[in-house]
Amino acid sequence: MRPGGELATRPLHFIFIADCSTSMRNSGKMDALNQAIREAIPHMRRVAEENPNAEVLVRALRFSSGAQWHVEAPTLVDDFEWTDLESSGVTDMGKAFEALADVMAMPPMSERALPPVLVLISDGQPTDAYQEGLQRLLAQPWGVKAVKLAIAIGRAVNKKVLQAFINNDQIDVLQADNAQALVNYIKWASTAVLKAASSPASQFAGHEGTNVILPQIPDDFWDGTQVSVEDVW
Amino acid sequence: MNSLLHVGQLLHGTNTLYRVGKLLGSGSQGEVYEATANGQVYAIKWYFSQMATKEQLAGIQRLVKIGPPNSSFLWPLELITTSSKKGFGYVMPLRPKRFASIVDLMKRKADPSFYALTRAAMELIESFRMLHAKQLCYRDISFGNLFFDPQTGEVLICDNDNIAFEQEVNTTVLGTPRFMAPEIVRGESLPDVDTDRFSIAVLLFYMFMIHHPLEGRLEASIKCFDLPAMRQLYGHKPLFIFDPISSANRPLPGLHDNALIYWNLYPDYFKQLFTQCFTKGLRQRQHRPDEAQWLEVLLKLQQSIVSCTCSAENFYDHNKTCWSCQKSMLLPLHLHLNGSLVVLREDTRLYQHQLQMHLPNKSTISLSKTHRAAKVTKHPHHPEIRGLQNLTEESWQVTTPKGHTFEVPKGRSVTLEPGAKINFGQVSGIVQGGFAHEQSLGLTKEATR
Repeated sequence: MRPGGELATRPLHFIFIADCSTSMRNSGKMDALNQAIREAIPHMRRVAEENPNAEVLVRALRFSSGAQWHVEAPTLVDDFEWTDLESSGVTDMGKAFEALADVMAMPPMSERALPPVLVLISDGQPTDAYQEGLQRLLAQPWGVKAVKLAIAIGRAVNKKVLQAFINNDQIDVLQADNAQALVNYIKWASTAVLKAASSPASQFAGHEGTNVILPQIPDDFWDGTQVSVEDVW
Repeated sequence: MNSLLHVGQLLHGTNTLYRVGKLLGSGSQGEVYEATANGQVYAIKWYFSQMATKEQLAGIQRLVKIGPPNSSFLWPLELITTSSKKGFGYVMPLRPKRFASIVDLMKRKADPSFYALTRAAMELIESFRMLHAKQLCYRDISFGNLFFDPQTGEVLICDNDNIAFEQEVNTTVLGTPRFMAPEIVRGESLPDVDTDRFSIAVLLFYMFMIHHPLEGRLEASIKCFDLPAMRQLYGHKPLFIFDPISSANRPLPGLHDNALIYWNLYPDYFKQLFTQCFTKGLRQRQHRPDEAQWLEVLLKLQQSIVSCTCSAENFYDHNKTCWSCQKSMLLPLHLHLNGSLVVLREDTRLYQHQLQMHLPNKSTISLSKTHRAAKVTKHPHHPEIRGLQNLTEESWQVTTPKGHTFEVPKGRSVTLEPGAKINFGQVSGIVQGGFAHEQSLGLTKEATR
């Protein structure tokens, strides 16, 4: 019997931002996205389990015609369950940025936290005027400090917009050309990147100029992944 | 993401073939798997291809040749390769399931007694003493490297593949944030034995306080706790939360409660070593406690543990009332020795340095078997009677409460009777307790000499 409680933690907000426009219905993209997130959850739980410094809270935002919270309340990763997203409508990415700007403002963001992780997944380009929403997001201190990742599904994506969302030259848009690549990237974002943002691992010499060091995607990452030009998206 | 190896894959050691089992975990350098060979189960670490460098290969080969400093290290046993995949890995002993991680300790999923916790700390320090004695340094101490048995306090040290000779210039591994010495965080220095000692003190502080020594008001004032914030807090402006001169970084109630609760529980001589490390030792490396200093203090701390009738363990020092039930404590059988109180449990041992009045060289302090000077024994015919066995080469002189004197030669035991005085040569001890408060015995430091 010893007194006291657990090690003090800070919240780490992790938000999936999913494109649910009609085009996501094509070639099974929506199914692949649902499957990828579902597969990533146990891995996220393991990362949270191994990390005594963070309280990992997960949310999900969908956008098509407008943007709506799919999981609105910041939910402990142990309690986070995935219900499938469905696709229909246009690509109001700007509305998603607006919704993110609202939650990255302080309040509702707490005064003390770890860098949030925002993972945007899209297969197209904004159909609304996205600039204003993006500016609002990047005007929030938490919007700037957040680790922002973007996964482009297929080749019809406007990468410039995604790169503007990432707002960091050192991080490229992740290009997923098939379902396995999408699963891999989502798993990487929700494990390795989650880990880096919450409790940095061993530091190797030569990392400078960023507030969260993103782990390298291992060269072995693609082993066994069947990448084919015939993949249909 | 796909695994580096698959179940059933065969890997070649020098003379042994290993069959890969399930994935046990992954880190920043590679993945760890279970493996079997000749009916034995091992662990195997396989490196990510960009981490499988020539330097790493040479490092592993050298560690295999050097061998482990003691059995607490899950040391590389041999290098392994396979024809079906580039790169390499190494074999090490498998960690048994009864061992918990420091993360489990931080999350209160493992709840050792203070007695087991102090043993874990002593085993950790003794292991690092032996590592550093070989001029080797660990370089990357963190939550993930140490495992302990919550029942017994035995420890295992893993991830030993970054260990290297101190004098080598090796720039690949700098350490883990929160554990790195300030001069490494600032980019002024590379890991060595002195920076290991800083990281060890941080780990000990975490183990005993469930808190970080530099996270107080200054941490609370930081909104986003990212790498620039960590560089400031742990590198450029480090300030101990219990700095005796500056109170600018005190723990805040509600945010840093563990630090506030635990700091009051421990004796001053223990807190003094942390204070030394995290005040002067922040900037002047020679002030960081070495392993001998920690061993001396941790042993004293463990031997002062008294269980209250409410079952809470207390460190019997200036506190005479129990932290849990607030009642005054009864002292069990103990030895008043050289100004310290040694509670005499079934497994208590005295070490050579405890029986010396002046230590000519503190670096000789060790808690290894060869440094034992006495141990508590049971009477062969009356197991309820406890004795103290002489493990030294010299005879002891014992004076009973009735004034009889006799010798206890090497290998023999003296009955632990309250009031008996044992002259160990340089120092004397008086057996006390088991029935009364220390105060009623009128013990003073002088009375024991």
